[in-house]
Order: sequence, then structure tokens, then C-alpha cells
Amino acid sequence: MNTTFALAGVVIKELYRRKDFYVLFVLSALLTLVSGAASFFHDRNIIGYIKDICLLLIWISALIIAVVTTARQIPAEREARTIFPLLAKPVSRWQLIVGKFLGCWLATGLALLVFYVFFAVLVGTRDGHWPLGIYLEAAWMQWLMLAIVIAMVLLGSIHFAAPSSTTTICVSVVVGILILGGHLRQLALLQPEPVQTLLSAVYFLMPHLEWYDLRDFVVYESGIVGGGPLLLASLYAAVWVAIFLILAWLGFRRKSLNT
Amino acid sequence: MKASPPVILFALVVLMFTLALQLDTSFTVARRTEQPKDVMGAVFGEGRKLFAEQSFTMADVYFHSGYYPSVFDQGAQAQKEIITASHGQKETEEDEKKEDFMGRPRDWVDAFGRHFKITQHTHLEGHQEREILPWLRLSASLNPHKIDTYTVGAYFLWEHLNRPDQAEIFLREGLRNNPDSYEILFELGRLYRDVEHDADHACNLFELGIKKFQAASASQQKEDHVAGEKLVVNLAYLEEKIGNYESALKWFEVACALSPFPDEMRKEMALIREKQAAAKKVQ
Amino acid sequence: MRNTVKVALQGLDLEVFAGEVFGFLGPNGAGKTTTMNVLLGFVPPTSGKASLFEIDVRQPIARQRIGYLPELTYYYKFLTAEELLRFYARIFGLSRGEADRRIAELLKLVELEHAAKRPIKGYSKGMQQRCGLAQALINNPDLLILDEPTSGLDPLGRMKVREIIQRLKNEGKTVFFSSHEMGEVETICDRVAIVHQGELKAVGKVADISAGHENLEKAFLKIVGFETTPQP
Repeated sequence: MNTTFALAGVVIKELYRRKDFYVLFVLSALLTLVSGAASFFHDRNIIGYIKDICLLLIWISALIIAVVTTARQIPAEREARTIFPLLAKPVSRWQLIVGKFLGCWLATGLALLVFYVFFAVLVGTRDGHWPLGIYLEAAWMQWLMLAIVIAMVLLGSIHFAAPSSTTTICVSVVVGILILGGHLRQLALLQPEPVQTLLSAVYFLMPHLEWYDLRDFVVYESGIVGGGPLLLASLYAAVWVAIFLILAWLGFRRKSLNT
Repeated sequence: MKASPPVILFALVVLMFTLALQLDTSFTVARRTEQPKDVMGAVFGEGRKLFAEQSFTMADVYFHSGYYPSVFDQGAQAQKEIITASHGQKETEEDEKKEDFMGRPRDWVDAFGRHFKITQHTHLEGHQEREILPWLRLSASLNPHKIDTYTVGAYFLWEHLNRPDQAEIFLREGLRNNPDSYEILFELGRLYRDVEHDADHACNLFELGIKKFQAASASQQKEDHVAGEKLVVNLAYLEEKIGNYESALKWFEVACALSPFPDEMRKEMALIREKQAAAKKVQ
Repeated sequence: MRNTVKVALQGLDLEVFAGEVFGFLGPNGAGKTTTMNVLLGFVPPTSGKASLFEIDVRQPIARQRIGYLPELTYYYKFLTAEELLRFYARIFGLSRGEADRRIAELLKLVELEHAAKRPIKGYSKGMQQRCGLAQALINNPDLLILDEPTSGLDPLGRMKVREIIQRLKNEGKTVFFSSHEMGEVETICDRVAIVHQGELKAVGKVADISAGHENLEKAFLKIVGFETTPQP
């Protein structure tokens, strides 16, 4: 575990020493503040659209940070040849995969924490109340979703040629799932066979990332999600993370690394 | 004989300017739409109408606190509405609230996923309707020719948020962008009648609205016959209220042709004639 | 067009004894780096086996007692030398106190104390090489595997590396390194092995291999099949 956390620590250091996070945070904050400065029909108490815009920016930024950071982990190590002195230590390839995953996930989590604190402060000062329960739930679920995405991207980075192709493919898949995932069965039922069976199979076998989007609950203040579904969603995410990491390890463990 | 480079360059420049003049003339002739006058038009081009529709939909989503059908659900919903309409059933607001576009869960994925979706059909109330305003504002900026944006916005500003001043400003903006809009004229007329209590001004607005309606194409008049009927009936009642019985009778006569309840109109005309007779006796 | 398979190593049977400095020689493309890659677990052998301290190289624990310096030294550019050494120390399971002590000692040894808190991206090639040497020694290894350790170094740097190797030898450590610098190999190695085209051509003490030749270089050239033209 020490090795895994040591590897994770290096990933976190890399994130906060690169400019990506700061640029995205400043951009998101600026866009949110500019939107918030607008006045609609001289009513200063409107807050819904600010929440919507800010949460959308948080989702986009966190996804970019997660995917871009993860996609370059192993390929960059190979390209920069830093993987050789690393694997020459008593580090197994499984530990490397898990360490990279943990580092990317914790780094993204830190970024999410900063974003959500900004969001809570902005909305709270304007709105006058602080529904921390739903904020925490929304942040936790988003973090879980990003765990699945990070594990998926790690798997992709083992098999695809370059970080750019991993990023493009994974972002397309994730956005596709978020938009269409919940409706794929509806679409499938309208299709003739064998497309119907194929789409239905994809629907049941794919990770349902759209479950983890609780933005509507935050924007419309529709109460909180129960502990039971939250726990099951967490387990579901853990299972998918394990599947992707094991597949990544299986692909990576026998790969020849020539110095 | 070979041309020297400066000569070739000069010839190319002349050709370039000639082509530019020719193409510019052609494009100006071919251009059917106006040049965008604002930032939204410049940025979004013709796509702004799509974004305007989306913004208007977002206002509806906000009004329903996120309980809203997706494009896939709307397809199925449209089918159901066609069937409902064909049976002559009219939906009330209560019917709308009872409707569940989600239906029963299709499978375990759908069933579990509903824990993370808004599943309660509610409407914003208690001044929370303000949350839809930014989307209506955006819709109006993106497509100033979308009439519904102004009428819906004005309705919520005036009736729910107690901001008739803002409602009037919004409607007047809509009228500037759509001078032939009888719907906006109708709403302005109502505002002057019910808030400003300026019946004369309201009558003028209703009359102007009727003129605009009558100037519209036959097919549009047929499609919007409810709007025309509302203008005429409201004008007729208002004329009656302020004592212009002749004018009221004239408009109720017109209403008989438009309204699906002409008997009601004739009853009202009979009442007005009685009032007229009573007024003459007093004189 | 048929895919051709290149045999990088063929029938290599080698044993390095504890406490010796072992030179691994061969022309470019002979299979030296491939041998090291197999030993370090980067490349799985297609047949046969490799062990470090009698532990199969496929087990990560086999690398607990080794230090490795690659030919091309690249480390995390966003880390400082101190952070890099602390990271590797943590991987080896060194306690905080022991890691602090080792890091201070090594930074002094490789003369990087003044630059310890600067990011590695600002280091010169020589500084990066010295940083690499420090990370190879962080766990006080019993076996040091060096791939062309003096490549790209100035004479002072080369001397420093030789001194370190000699010191390790005096401490009873084992050093296994590849090099093209025959003079260096002659000076410090106990035994050498010569590979050519993936095959082991000779192995033994430097004196035994050089016997009958002017020096080790001449012997090497003869063994790999390069006939030198006799000087007039």
C-alpha cells in the first residue's frame, strides 16, 4: 500500500504543478461570476441559472482534468522513460496501475473539492441558505463517476497508441453514455432485430454514468437521494473500477518495455 | 515573350480586386436575410433560432423543477397527444400534473436510475417562478421574433411575480421586434385594462390587434382563430363595460362568427340592447 | 512479405557472483540492453529464466536489493531531486528517518546538495546523471546494475563514477555494468563477459581474456570477429 500511495502522491504533485487545473478553475469561476453579474428584469434573487451554469462548468472541467491527466500517465512515463527506473524498483505492474488510478482519482477529487467549495460559497452568499447535504451527495456521486472514467481511460491508455487518441475516444464514450445511456433501451425497442438485441446488450453491459449526475437535485432543490441507492451506486462504481483496472493490468503485465 | 514578375503581380492584383467586386455584388443579391444587428446574431447566425427554442424549453424545464421528458419521451408523448386530441379530450392543468411520461420502469436499470432523477411533477410557485426568467430573456435575445417568449414572460412577470412594469417593458420590446403581432397587442391590452385601469388605451390596443389579425393571411387566421376570437370578445366586453354599447354590439356581432359559442354572444348582445334601452329611458 | 523475427539473445547462460564487479561488453546491438531488460523484468524471456538473488525476476521482490541506473537518465521533471529520492525511498519501505539520512548522504556524494530543492527540469545532463546515480543507491543495494554509466560524462564525472564503483566493491557489493569504455573496464572489473549478435562469446577474468592480446580492446575486437590491420 505504501508503494501505491507513493505513486499516487507523485500524480497529485504533477497535477498541482501543471497549469491545467488552475486555468480551468479560473475560467470556470470567471464564466460563473460573469453570468451571475447579469440582471434579469431587475430581479437579483434569481439563482437557478447560476447553479446550472456553474455545475455544468464543474462537470466539464472535472471531466477534462480526469481524462487528460489519466490518458497521459502511462504513455508519458514510457515516452519520458521514467517508467524504467520506476519498474526497476520492487513495484509490480499491478501496483503501478492502481497507484496511477489512485493518484488521478485523488487529484481529481481535490480539484472537485475546490470547485464545489467555490460553488457553495457563491450560491450560499447569494441565496442565503446552504443545503450541504445535497452538495456533498452531488460531489460524491460525481467523484464516483470520475473513478469509473479514470479506470476506463487507464485501460484505454494501455491499448491506444497516443494520449490524444485515448482522450478523444474516452471523452466521446463518456459524453455518449451521459447523454444517451439512459435512453438506449428506448431506442433499442424501436429498432428491428438484430440491432435491438445489440443495443439492449450494450445498454445492460455498459457502465451507467448518467446515474451519477445529481445536478438537477442541486439546481431544483429537490431533496436528497436516499442512503440505500447511494450505497448501491457506490458499490456499482467500485465494481466497474475493478473491472477496468483488472483489464488494464491484464493488458499491461505482459507488455515488453524496451529501454 | 515572358512576362516579368512585377507585371504578373500587377495582373494578379487587378484580377483579385475584380473578382472581389464581382463576388461581393453576387453575395449581396443572393443574401436574403438581414445582417445580424447584435452579438447573438453575429455569434450564432441562423442557429440562434434553435438555441432560442432550447432556451424556451429550459424555461419550461425550470417551471417543472426538472421533471421534463427527454426528446425520446417527447416523441412517445406526441403520439399520445395525437390520440388524446383525436378523441376530443381537452387537458386541464390537473390532467397535466397527473400525467407521468416516465411510465412504469422498463427494466432494473431504469428502475434503479429513477432514484437519481426528478420524478415528481411539480410547478414552481410562491415567487420561485422567477427562475424561468433568465431563459426567457435569453430566448428573446436569440430570437426576437418568437412571440411566445414575450407573452409567456409577461404572463409570469405580471400574474405570478407581481411585476407588471417589467411585463410591459418586455411586451413593448416584443412589439418593437414584431410590430404585426396581435398576440402581444392583446397582452398589452389586458395589462392596460387590468393593471393600469386605462380602458381607452386598452381598447385602442385591442382594436389595433384585431386590425393586425385581419391583415394576416387566411391560413394564419384559421390557425390562430382563438387569438382573433379572444381579441374581439375582450374588446366587446370592455366596450360594454365603459358604456360604448354601439361599439360593443358591433364587436359582439363579429365575435358570433368567430366564437364556438355564438349563442353566448347573442345572449350578451341581447343584454346590451336592454342596457341601451334602459339608458335611453333615463335620458 | 514475411515478418522476420530477430533473436536478441540466444543461449545466454551467465552467472555473476556476489561481491564482484562484472563488465558486460559487446558492440551495439549485441544484446546487452536486452539482457538488462530481462533481468529487470521489463521484457519477459521467450524461454529460459533469470533470477536475482535466486528469486525469479518476474517477482517484484527480486528488485528489493538492487539499484539500476539506465543509460538515458530521465526522471520526473516536476519533482526536485530530494522529492525524487524520497519517492523511491518510500517504495523501498525506508522509514522517514532512514530516508532523510540516506538522501542527505547521497546528495552529498553526488554533489547535488545545492540543487536538491530545484525541479529536475532545470538540471544539466551531468546533474541528471548524478541524480540517477543517487536514486540507484537510495536503498543501499547489494547489486548495482549500470547501463553505460559513464556515457555522456566529462572526464571528472567518469572518474567520480569509477570511484563510486570502487567504493561499492570495497563494501562487498556486486556491480554489473555494461560499457564501451575498455580502459575503464580493464581498470575496475573482476570479470567480464562479451556478447555478440545475442550470443555469449567469452566470459572470465579480464587478465584471462586479454591474454595473448595487447589489451582488452584488441581481445574484444578479435572475439567479435573484427580483424585489425597490422600496423606497418
